[in-house]
Amino acid sequence: MCDNCLKHGTAGKWYLNARNYSNEIVEEYNLREFLIEQYKNFEQIAVRKIAGFNGVGLGYKIQMPIIGRIVKHTAEKMLHSTKPPTNPLKAEGHIGQVVPLDDAIAILEHCAAEPIIQKYCMCRYMHRGEKDACCINFGVMSEIIEKLPRFIPVDEKFQLTREEAIERFKEHNEKGYIGTIWYGPYPYINNLCSCANPECAGIRPRLDFGINSIYKAEYVVDIKPDFCEGCKECIAKCQFDAINFDPIRKQSVIDKSKCFGCGVCLHACKYDAIGIHPRKDFPELKGIY
Amino acid sequence: MGKKTKIKINYSICGDGNEINPQECLKCLKVCEPALFLLHESFGVEEENPYDPQIWRVTPLYPSLCTRCMKCVESCPGEAIQVTW
Repeated sequence: MCDNCLKHGTAGKWYLNARNYSNEIVEEYNLREFLIEQYKNFEQIAVRKIAGFNGVGLGYKIQMPIIGRIVKHTAEKMLHSTKPPTNPLKAEGHIGQVVPLDDAIAILEHCAAEPIIQKYCMCRYMHRGEKDACCINFGVMSEIIEKLPRFIPVDEKFQLTREEAIERFKEHNEKGYIGTIWYGPYPYINNLCSCANPECAGIRPRLDFGINSIYKAEYVVDIKPDFCEGCKECIAKCQFDAINFDPIRKQSVIDKSKCFGCGVCLHACKYDAIGIHPRKDFPELKGIY
Repeated sequence: MGKKTKIKINYSICGDGNEINPQECLKCLKVCEPALFLLHESFGVEEENPYDPQIWRVTPLYPSLCTRCMKCVESCPGEAIQVTW
């Protein structure tokens, strides 16, 4: 279990604790104004200068010998911050974790605070120019998005019931989008996203720049060699390059150290060769998130 | 490790309320394989409604990921993008 679970999980996973979704936290941290200010300027956050630095050319900044380490350390400190947020133009305490389908359904069924809405994915719009209604928001976040017309889906239903939200999430997951749950800001959970690489502004820092912006899931995927027929369908689904084809055995093999445990490849396998297991069952992956 | 890639966008042609409106064009964003461009509201340009901004611009956010495929240069209708290294 990761640190977040030990602190906020009440003997379970942090994202399955309903308190982290409650309005109590909103009142305590006064998040209503904070979130509206943050999402009003959402696309600008990466290009705004904070203490002389912004995200433009982040790859080259990180490659610099000493400055690179300072940039990386500062960015991680900001993302992992557990203090009450002060500046809405910084992504403070905005950290996520990959969740497989079953956990996402449990979140939507039992934990998510009403009202539940779907909105256009902001990352996919600002990096790819596509409007795709695949983010599910809960609680105060839903009320805030109502005021920001550019995120509201045009020809689709905006407010969802719990059942509809589960249905929508299943659709996205089968399409190949990775389910992720986000603190925004810590410890308030308000986003269940369906992300894709490389558009996702949360997954990209970890994959391309090594900034720990998202945790791997509590699970890991394993392929049973006896069942695998080598159809390569799962390889196409994996967005983390964790599955490779072994041309000699004519089978797919998984690199568990790269697997994020999103479980998207499960939808692709016709032979029941892929299984999803808790991360703690594998001693080599203990404590690696 | 080669030289750094520099991507320049001419904002007097694209964005900031000029000739090309990036929100309608979106060609460079769609064509870029590593999706390194960022579409965001312009700074310092007078907006009527901050909740629904209308003036946008494109910033090449992560030039280090550029594959130098030149698709953005070819696709830009106003020839506003310049990639050098």
